[in-house]
Amino acid sequence: MNTLFQNLKLPLLVAVMLMTPVLVAAQAQDSRIQMSSLDHLTSKATQTVDVNIDERLIRLASKVFSDHGDEKEVKDLIAGIKGIYVKSFEFEADGQYTSADVESIRSQLRGPSWTRLMNFTSKKDGNLEVYLLLDGEKVGGLAVLSTDDREFTVVNIVGPVDVEKLSKLEGQMGVPELGIEFKKEKKNDK
Amino acid sequence: MKTNRITTLALLLRTFCLSLLCLFVATVLVQAKGDDFNSVVKLIEQFYGVKHQGIPFLAKAGMKVGTTAARIKGGTARRIAEAGSIKLAVFEDQAFDREFSQFRTSLNTALTATWTPLIQTIAGGGEEQTYIFMREAGDKFNVLVITIDQHDATVVQVNLSPKNLALLIKDPEGTGKAITEEATINDPE
Repeated sequence: MNTLFQNLKLPLLVAVMLMTPVLVAAQAQDSRIQMSSLDHLTSKATQTVDVNIDERLIRLASKVFSDHGDEKEVKDLIAGIKGIYVKSFEFEADGQYTSADVESIRSQLRGPSWTRLMNFTSKKDGNLEVYLLLDGEKVGGLAVLSTDDREFTVVNIVGPVDVEKLSKLEGQMGVPELGIEFKKEKKNDK
Repeated sequence: MKTNRITTLALLLRTFCLSLLCLFVATVLVQAKGDDFNSVVKLIEQFYGVKHQGIPFLAKAGMKVGTTAARIKGGTARRIAEAGSIKLAVFEDQAFDREFSQFRTSLNTALTATWTPLIQTIAGGGEEQTYIFMREAGDKFNVLVITIDQHDATVVQVNLSPKNLALLIKDPEGTGKAITEEATINDPE
């Protein structure tokens, strides 16, 4: 047994060292939702926005937000975030995206860890759905699905985020203006 | 017999670790390679059947874009980019009328191994396309901004300090436009 351990010690150590970043990355991706199923909408849309900001870039960006007023709030809001991913489509006519497109996102948010928050509305027309990924008491991520006849937007924030201040992120770091309004009410499950 | 099995297992693990190590080194080497700026320019030329104008040609023709780019290269009009760090290719008065989604796919395939796509916007069903990619370059960052509209296109690669990269992340669309404008619009200064 001792010989086995001695023979395997070094290779195991190397394997663990090499695999650690992969495992850490995989864990951080838990609340990352896959949006590539929507790529085909790009050719139908009049306006497409695709944003990918990972943790390293967020850390860098946080340095340029000042410690005063709204900028301080945004800085605090993004402090623990590990990624911001956005796909947004605007169309010239109705019916350019299908319920299957919406379902490709919603189906990922039906997992046991995701909870739909009912106390969000949008100042704009259309439907706004906000989902939170909870790991016990901790918030692990957030997804916003905003749809109307001619618009389809998905925002995915990976990592802990203060949902009450979500609207502060609109217009920052590629997050579009969705007119998010938070009402202080009880949160309900789906 | 038992010792043989242990030795075989250890050998297998060593081989596995070596393979992982090779993969790791290969990834690092791929990341370090290459002039992707020229690849992107060639990709645009091949896909759209267009030809870019070099800065000397533009300057000779007295076009504002050339002189400004030259001045930026000399550092006089520098604001966002670091001195001497700008690579610029301009396509003027040509037809960019092919279906864009294939181009988008080719561009992303060509770049995503070494660059991170930061923001991509497509407007007017492909009439206006903007792609911003970034990658680390020592203590600075390379940023590649590609803009294409119906008749013109620009490819700009700049080195940004972490502070200016942060500005880009804070407002990707605005700062991306500023980078292209800095490289191509005449400054009265």
